[in-house]
Amino acid sequence: MTFEPGDRVRVLPAEKPGHVRTPDYVKRKAGWVEAVVGAFPNPEELAYGLSGLPERPLYRVGFLQIDLWDDYTGPAEDHLYADIYEHWLEPERGTT
Amino acid sequence: MGGVHDIGGSPGGPIDRGQHEVEDWERLADAINGALGAKGLQSTDQHRRAIESLAEYRDLSYYERWVAATEKLLVEKGVLSSDEIDERAAEIQRRWNGP
Amino acid sequence: MSNHHPHEETGGTTSPYAARIRAIEALLLEKGVLTEPEVQDSISYMEARSPANGAKLVARAWVDEDFKELLLSDGKAAASELGMDPEHPAEFVVVENTPEVHNLIVCTLCSCYPRAILGRPPDWYKSFAYRSRAVREPRAVMREFGFEPPEGVEVLVHDSTADVRYLVLPMRPPATEDLSEEELAGLVTRDSLVGVNVPRAPARTG
Repeated sequence: MTFEPGDRVRVLPAEKPGHVRTPDYVKRKAGWVEAVVGAFPNPEELAYGLSGLPERPLYRVGFLQIDLWDDYTGPAEDHLYADIYEHWLEPERGTT
Repeated sequence: MGGVHDIGGSPGGPIDRGQHEVEDWERLADAINGALGAKGLQSTDQHRRAIESLAEYRDLSYYERWVAATEKLLVEKGVLSSDEIDERAAEIQRRWNGP
Repeated sequence: MSNHHPHEETGGTTSPYAARIRAIEALLLEKGVLTEPEVQDSISYMEARSPANGAKLVARAWVDEDFKELLLSDGKAAASELGMDPEHPAEFVVVENTPEVHNLIVCTLCSCYPRAILGRPPDWYKSFAYRSRAVREPRAVMREFGFEPPEGVEVLVHDSTADVRYLVLPMRPPATEDLSEEELAGLVTRDSLVGVNVPRAPARTG
C-alpha cells in the first residue's frame, strides 16, 4: 500500500478506454485518504474476463464538496467519499 | 469525458419517486444474470462493461439494459448467436400477440 | 416448465426485451447452459431479500451496543449473525448517522446497492436524475424526499464506485424507549437505509 489514512492525494486525469470505476467528477481533484479498503483484482481487467491480478490497493478517498463543485451551495463541511484504486492516485504535495 | 454511464454531477431533473410493479420478465432478467454469475459464466464487472458499451444506453430502461448486456456477453462468448435469439424472440412475440 | 409468464401472456403492452429474455432463457435451458432449478433458485434468491432485513439490522443495533459495534466494523459478520447471507466478494459497510453527520448513498456509475441484504433497489435510486444529482446537490435531493438535516449537521455522500455496498444506520428516533425491537424495525424505512430521509416517528397514542 502506497498511501495511508490522512495522506493528501489527487486523482489522475487519465482518459482510459474501456471499463473504469473512477468517475469523471473526481478526476484532477485533490482529497485525502480516509481509509484503506483493501486489495482487490482490478475491475478494469475483470471486465474483459482477465484475472485482474495482481490485486490493486483500494482506498476510500474523501473530498470536500466545495472542491468538487464550483456551484456547491451546502456548508463547507459537507464532503464525499469515493472508493478509488491506487493506480488512479498520486500524492498531493504542499497546501492548496 | 467519461462514458455514457459516468453521470455523477451531470444536470438532472426532479426525481420521480414512483415505483413500477416489477414485471415477470424483469424478474427473469435478474435471475438469468444471477444464475450465469453463480456458475462463473459471467461476472458483475463483465456485465457492467457490457451495459456501459450500449449505444442505446440512455434510451433503455434499467432491465432493458440488463437484457441487452446479457445478450451481448452470451454472443461474445459464443454461447448463443444473435440470429437464434432474434428468431426465438420473434416466435415468442407472435405467440403472445395471439392469432 | 417455468410458470412465471402470466403477465406477458395476457398480451399487455410491454418491452420488446421481454420476449428477448424469454428467448435467451429458453435457448440456455435447451442447450443445458442453465437448468430450470438454477433459474428458479436465482428467482427465489432475490424474492427472499427485502428492506425488512435492513430494518432488522438497524433495530438490533439500536438495542444492543455490542451488535452495533460489530455492524459498524464488520457488516457481513453482523448480517450473518442475524441469519442473512451477504454475498461474496463484495464488501458490506454500514455507516452511522450521528448528531454531527448525515450519510447519503449513491452509485453514480451504475446503481450498486446492497441487494444481497435488501433485495432490489427502488426505481428512483436507479434513475439518471438521482445518480447525477445526489453527489452534487445531496441536500436538494433530500428536500425532494421531505427531509432537511438540522442546522449544523454535515452531509456525507458515499459513491459506491468499487465493490463496497453501503447501508446507512440511521439514528434512533426520540420517544422510542418503550418500543420492542420489532416495533423499532417497523419505523425503519427503505429510504432511510439509503439516507434520503430518516426513520418514521413512533405513532402517538391517545
